[in-house]
Amino acid sequence: MVLLSSYGEKNKMKSSNIIKTIAQKLFPFILLFGIYLILHGHLSPGGGFQGGVVLGTAVILLFLSYGIEETERKVKIKYLSIIEVSIILFFIFIGVFGMLTANFFLKNFLPLGRTGQILSGGFMPLLNFVIGIKVAAGIFGIFYILFKYRGEI
Amino acid sequence: MKKYISILFLITITLIIIFSINLEFGKPINLEFANHYLNKGIEETGAMNLVASVYLDYRAYDTLIETVILFMAVYGITFFLRREK
Repeated sequence: MVLLSSYGEKNKMKSSNIIKTIAQKLFPFILLFGIYLILHGHLSPGGGFQGGVVLGTAVILLFLSYGIEETERKVKIKYLSIIEVSIILFFIFIGVFGMLTANFFLKNFLPLGRTGQILSGGFMPLLNFVIGIKVAAGIFGIFYILFKYRGEI
Repeated sequence: MKKYISILFLITITLIIIFSINLEFGKPINLEFANHYLNKGIEETGAMNLVASVYLDYRAYDTLIETVILFMAVYGITFFLRREK
């Protein structure tokens, strides 16, 4: 990226058609893998943080191959901060809800279910999902700010 | 002279730290929580992955603070690097 940005303002960053096509084809599979990691976080290795990073890198791949303007048209940047803040509030809301139904903050309030199925472990899939969205938004936000205002990574 | 004094000071502090810690590596003193998680983790939380059962159920409060830390990192980077156009 440093090399590309030292080309000067006149030569805008362009990537070849090969990179664009491969990124376009790989994007849904990386998204699918991230969602799989998040949903199976309580059954197999993985979880919210790891799956969220994979989701974030999927968007970063689009960003690197298509450039800043086209990605800004596809991904609405102004919703990122809303996601960031509202998800922390939702996390705290889950904790307070556990405090109301059971006695402790962040106590499991859903039924445990059969161990080994996806809908088991009480509120663990919910928390994994929430953390995954949060980490994806955070990783992409950091990358976006660095890329837009500094021009290098 | 000052340099030698500071080097001597560092060496004595290192020796004190080395000889005051007598723990053997791989032999933790307190195994109560680890044994509890290993024996009763699956039936208490209902998750196959014991790591997830620790960080999402037993220690969920730490995970909350961890997400807040990530939020603060994003906030700090945005605050320091954003430029008005």
